[in-house]
Amino acid sequence: MAEATFVDLARLQADADTADVALAMDEEAFRAFYDRTSGALWGYLSRISGNRQMADDLLQESYYRLLKTTAVFESENHRRNYLYRIATNLVRDTKRAPRPVFDEAIEMANVAAPNTGADTESRTDVRRALGRLKPRERAMLWLAYANGSSHAEIADVLGLKTASIKLLLFRARRKLAATLQRQEVR
Amino acid sequence: MTPVDRPQLSDAELTDAEVEAIVREAIAAEASSARCEASPPSSAIVWWRAQMRARQEATRAVERPLTIVHAIAIACGLGLLLSIAGVAVALLEGWAGPVSLATIDLTSRWITLPATAMLVSALVTSVAVYVIFADE
Repeated sequence: MAEATFVDLARLQADADTADVALAMDEEAFRAFYDRTSGALWGYLSRISGNRQMADDLLQESYYRLLKTTAVFESENHRRNYLYRIATNLVRDTKRAPRPVFDEAIEMANVAAPNTGADTESRTDVRRALGRLKPRERAMLWLAYANGSSHAEIADVLGLKTASIKLLLFRARRKLAATLQRQEVR
Repeated sequence: MTPVDRPQLSDAELTDAEVEAIVREAIAAEASSARCEASPPSSAIVWWRAQMRARQEATRAVERPLTIVHAIAIACGLGLLLSIAGVAVALLEGWAGPVSLATIDLTSRWITLPATAMLVSALVTSVAVYVIFADE
């Protein structure tokens, strides 16, 4: 292997400043994929993290990591699941980082869109109920009911065994329904 | 069935089908609300930012070997200077006469100074490498 001189290194540095860098997709393919998936991914991130600002930041980071990956995707679905797995891990890592103590249920409720009346109240209830679930349960329910993902896909995104999804989903469903019921009684 | 007209049941009374319906309805409403709220940046902006960031990372990756080479060069230079200083001190004190292996005194400055210099050199190199990677 030829040894690099200081001149070679300086030239490489200059090249890196100006040349196009290699990403996993070309611009046209990326933009089409982004347009198809970004709205849904933003919804997932905002509801899983309970924070709109965090959703904005993590959306950008998720697509960047997807573009930098060397993984090979068999299909659009495979790529989308991989993107959701990145997003889920980012939320998990962000939650692990030290941050001020907060009431996740209240923060979830603050995600509310500007609206008035019973509809808004009902949606705030749903957000509060979602906020009472564990992040993994929220993610699981969202993937199943908002994205229509299969058990295998949910397992792939969350890094769990497919066989355990049915039971975990059952428990999460029960928990959410019970919380919603209790809120209505109050 | 909206939450308002749904009969109020305790957790144990809810059947699987009812639970399924409540959850499906709640998440569907929430997903619809999220779709209305979503205002992700345009794909052009995300692509441009990704390009910029990847370029910066490529530049940093190229700079890293230069930093390592600099650090090692400085560390070795320091080690060499200290070694020369050790020999110079020994010469100045007239200790550098004919030497045989049997007569080498391991406690003499002739041995300890260069050995110390080499140890310091190794230490500086380790510290420099640690600082470079800790910064990463």
